Amino acid sequence: MSDAVLEVEHVSKAFPGVKALDDVSFRVNRGEVIGLIGENGAGKSTLLKILNGVYQPDAGAVKVDGRPVRLLSPRQAFDSGIAMVFQEQSVLSTLTVAENIFLGREQEFLRWGLIDKRRMNAAAAVELKKVHLDIGPATPCARLTFAERQMVEIAKALSLDSRIASDITILLDEPTSVLESREVELLFSIIRDLKARASIVFISHRLEEVLAICDRIYVMRDGKVVAEVPAAEATVHALHTHMVGRQLHHEYYREQRQSPPGDEVILRADGLGKAGAFRDVSFELRAGEVLGIAGVIGSGREELARVLAGHAAPDAGALTVHGRPVRLAGASDAVANGIGLVPAERKVEGLVAQFSVAENMTLSALGRFASRGVIRFAAERAEAARWVERLHVRTPSTAAMTGGLSGGNQQKVVLAKWRIAGVEVLILDHPTRGIDVGAKEDVYELVRDITADGLAVILLGDTLDEVIGLSSRILVMRDGAVTATFDAPAGGKPEQVRILEHMV
Amino acid sequence: MTITTAAGGIARRSFLKGAAGLGAAGVLGAPFIVRAQDATWTLANSMRSVANPYHATFAKGGEEFAKSIGATYEVLVTEGNSEKGIADIKALLQRTGGKLILNVDPNDSPDARTIVEEVQAAGGFVVTQWNKPDDLHPWDHDPNYVAHMSFDGVPNAEAVANALFAAFGGEGGVVALGGILSNVPAIERKLGLDNAIAATGGKVQLLDFQPADWNEQKAFDITQAWITRFGDEIKGVFAANDGMGLGALEALRQNGLAGTVPVVGIDGIDAAVAAIEAGEFAGTVAWDPFWTGSMGLAIPYAHATGKIDITKEPHEHREFYGTGIVVTKDNVAEYKANPPQTDFNDLWGKATGQIQYRSA
Amino acid sequence: MAAQGLAGRAPRPASAMAQERRRAAAGGRLIEQWRRWAPVVVLIGLCLVIGAFNANFFSTGNLVRLLNSAAIPVVLCMGATFVILMGSIDLSVEGVVALAAVVASLLVANDVTAIAIGHLAIVPALAVGAALGFLNGWLHIRLKTPSFMTTLGMGFVGLGIATAILGGVTVRISDQSFRYLSLGRPLGVPMAVWVAALCVVVALVIQERTRFGRWVYAIGADEVTARQAGVPVERTRILAFVIAGVFAALGGVLAAAQFGQGHALIANGRLFTTIAAVIVGGTALSGGVGSVLNSVIGVFIVVVLANGMVLMGIPPYVQQGAQGLLIIAAVALALDRSKLAVVK
Repeated sequence: MSDAVLEVEHVSKAFPGVKALDDVSFRVNRGEVIGLIGENGAGKSTLLKILNGVYQPDAGAVKVDGRPVRLLSPRQAFDSGIAMVFQEQSVLSTLTVAENIFLGREQEFLRWGLIDKRRMNAAAAVELKKVHLDIGPATPCARLTFAERQMVEIAKALSLDSRIASDITILLDEPTSVLESREVELLFSIIRDLKARASIVFISHRLEEVLAICDRIYVMRDGKVVAEVPAAEATVHALHTHMVGRQLHHEYYREQRQSPPGDEVILRADGLGKAGAFRDVSFELRAGEVLGIAGVIGSGREELARVLAGHAAPDAGALTVHGRPVRLAGASDAVANGIGLVPAERKVEGLVAQFSVAENMTLSALGRFASRGVIRFAAERAEAARWVERLHVRTPSTAAMTGGLSGGNQQKVVLAKWRIAGVEVLILDHPTRGIDVGAKEDVYELVRDITADGLAVILLGDTLDEVIGLSSRILVMRDGAVTATFDAPAGGKPEQVRILEHMV
Repeated sequence: MTITTAAGGIARRSFLKGAAGLGAAGVLGAPFIVRAQDATWTLANSMRSVANPYHATFAKGGEEFAKSIGATYEVLVTEGNSEKGIADIKALLQRTGGKLILNVDPNDSPDARTIVEEVQAAGGFVVTQWNKPDDLHPWDHDPNYVAHMSFDGVPNAEAVANALFAAFGGEGGVVALGGILSNVPAIERKLGLDNAIAATGGKVQLLDFQPADWNEQKAFDITQAWITRFGDEIKGVFAANDGMGLGALEALRQNGLAGTVPVVGIDGIDAAVAAIEAGEFAGTVAWDPFWTGSMGLAIPYAHATGKIDITKEPHEHREFYGTGIVVTKDNVAEYKANPPQTDFNDLWGKATGQIQYRSA
Repeated sequence: MAAQGLAGRAPRPASAMAQERRRAAAGGRLIEQWRRWAPVVVLIGLCLVIGAFNANFFSTGNLVRLLNSAAIPVVLCMGATFVILMGSIDLSVEGVVALAAVVASLLVANDVTAIAIGHLAIVPALAVGAALGFLNGWLHIRLKTPSFMTTLGMGFVGLGIATAILGGVTVRISDQSFRYLSLGRPLGVPMAVWVAALCVVVALVIQERTRFGRWVYAIGADEVTARQAGVPVERTRILAFVIAGVFAALGGVLAAAQFGQGHALIANGRLFTTIAAVIVGGTALSGGVGSVLNSVIGVFIVVVLANGMVLMGIPPYVQQGAQGLLIIAAVALALDRSKLAVVK
């Protein structure tokens, strides 16, 4: 009688041209939190799809509670005790919390053929208590914050617990990538509570978090499991090494390429303010400089970025570009003045997914590629090809649809677009969110390339480490005001704790 | 990522292939039919649809005439689509090698010109009904454009309006429902009503006029609103066609006014005639679609077979109005007992005069 | 290092976060409430404006007339709402109404056939609607063609059959007890209105209390997620079209009773009224948002506007423009609603 709740034994899966999984095995024991890490393309998502019943393995078996199972649909996987909480949320905002939790399983609450809402809401309330979510079951999900929806999804997964005999396993796919630190802490405390009832597989790119919450960690690379380490014995460094197969230096942030800023002031903010968001922000941005802005949610840094990019108008203060005062009435004004924004929501705001790589890259500067209104395709393709090579974009060709590229490569396409458009100031809003380690390094390399070319960067980093490592100067914001400024020259980086003091 | 079932995909593909195959067969099959029709004239009536009583009888008239001379007869339906109407005619011209006698009620006035040119180029003969551009005349397209037939909405509407006024004693307010504002019949019938009202010297007033677009549901809703707005002031309802009149009648019925407030319509459909008998309608105007449907073929056929030479006929035989019959309760019994007869050999017996062009 | 973990440790106490959430929700809730109630506000506003011009608008007689004008459109909209909520569309309304009206009129005492089965005629009429609706859904699923195309085709098929059966003849109904469906006035309210009210109740129960209703919303919001949760998407889709067909057929029966006739053109113009009413009422064409009650409000907005324009003596030429503006305004309101969805 094994302790294993979920086992994957020698599973392989191949697609035309690529072997996605090669003899993968791992097990999840009762009450364990297992970390699963690996770069994009390592095979994690294929493995998850097999566990979720979307694919079937070519070889090998999946066992629940020691019994082999055939999972032919997500519903079957769910009914077998494997519940998946997706990276892209699958909570339907037009339904209530209770309706989402029991979607597809309403027959449990039928009375004379009609759904008994009172009973369903009561059952939902029970599940919500398990995840410490203090909202009413009849609340429409449109009103919930992102983190609350995450919890509803987990409650949905957990609702399996009292309804099937076998032990349940919850697969959490990148659950923290869009959560702020406060919410992540909450999630972790819930996960610790959950260990009594379910086993958890935690998939994430944030290695520090994986180490913080997991008991054991599996590392995947190129379709294989290359390492299994107990969390207590592991370090981020070691994990990185397993993941990328090469040594990770403190040159992760390419500090050695950080150069002191030039003399020319490109952008200047004087007393910028926006009601309800931030007030009295002033700084000077020089060529070749990386200005990092550190702050938690509510500090005003996201709104400041949008104002600087021209997406919103400030209520007070002034902005000057090369000494000229400017009023930015929209993004096109900002671009005309040489300011570009690489947004956090790439797919929604940075790229046209149906456009090809070349089309996306030239989007902001189409005028340069058109004579008398007609686009010169050869010139467009040539320029795009130059940048694909320069930025090492992994794409079959410049005509490939951008929607099909991985996150990191999409980010590079967005960066290339702004370079082609000739911006001088790039505002990077969480540029490495949801991107694997190898691609992150490419992005850091890009930032150094950009600054070496004389552009300036305003950075809203994903982690404080990233902000410190990349920036030459750091602005710390809290509750809408600038609380401190730090110099961060190469070799003389300030300590995390000192910055945190001014952040929270 | 969803995996589509192979079965669904295949079924759809083979269905589409089959449909394409049928279409191809149809196109390829066409030439073979032409040979069979070579020697004789084909007769055809073209109209909007056979779903309404007027056009159904129009089609029947053509059919009876064709039967009487033993010729092939076809019905073309435009479904309110000008392109389809013209395309169908072109196809038929091709199939018959130009030996076509066409009696057409065009979907819209401009269509008439295209149709006449096509028929002339193919060497066939055509008669148009109701709708044509003012500057298109049969005598400019001899001998192929044989005639244009219509009914004068103005005097007929005026007559039936007078029947309405008589039904409520000649004094009071009336409400009027019009057809689609841009249609020539709608304009003519409104003009007729206006003339009738003017002739009463103020005894009858027009309380309101609303277009109900030949639609009985619209007529129903508008009449209901009128009842709220004018109440007792409404002494009679004038409707530019029977369909709208019947819609208005039902609205009156729902408010207990059927039979008390008289209604008139135009077109002479069975339901309207029955309503006259029941005392709920004060009158209607019967066109003679059987006559237009059959004579529109008989006249060109007479020329095609050499019985007459249309190029020598006067203009009033080239563009003429037919006879509308105003049916009221006074003559309804007789009308039903003796429905209008059509003598296929009496080509212009029912013509009432040359068509006039009013800038309306 | 492992224990410390993340970007910034010191988490704020739970109450602060709850406070922030409440603040955000309150602002969002206000806007959401306004958008939800916008159609009702528009309707009340319309009534007040018209009433100011002509106080007869509020007379019992006129209110009854308004209900009467709204009865058939409401019945048609009940079915259409489910289809639109799912993210599809049903353009076959006119064909189904016509065929059902023709079938019903031929089976009650009439002047064309010798059959006279009285109210039983409603059953075959509804069956016809269900059959056409089933074909709508089945072809849509099997051929994977957009509902726009399949229902458009089915509509023509229905109209064609109706025309072929009658050949241009208009059937006149003489069965007075059948006409009671329209002319009867239990408690002073026209029978058609009672039937429509019953339809609303049934549709509401289906929408709120059955699994089918729930699944329609789920499919309209996110079909992929719904399918993964085990919702029987194909079955639900077909059922929605069947229900729409049945409601449309009932509308046809009522129309036949109202005009005492059955003919193929009885449904002219009803498709536009139905879809416009559903949209004006606040159900988004993209699916997932809306309700049958919204459609009822939408029907009344359309009916009151038409009634009001006649009461106020607005020139006919202007009326069409006013109706067009109404549609545009309603769609604009509906579009804004979807922008409010959480994007983060």
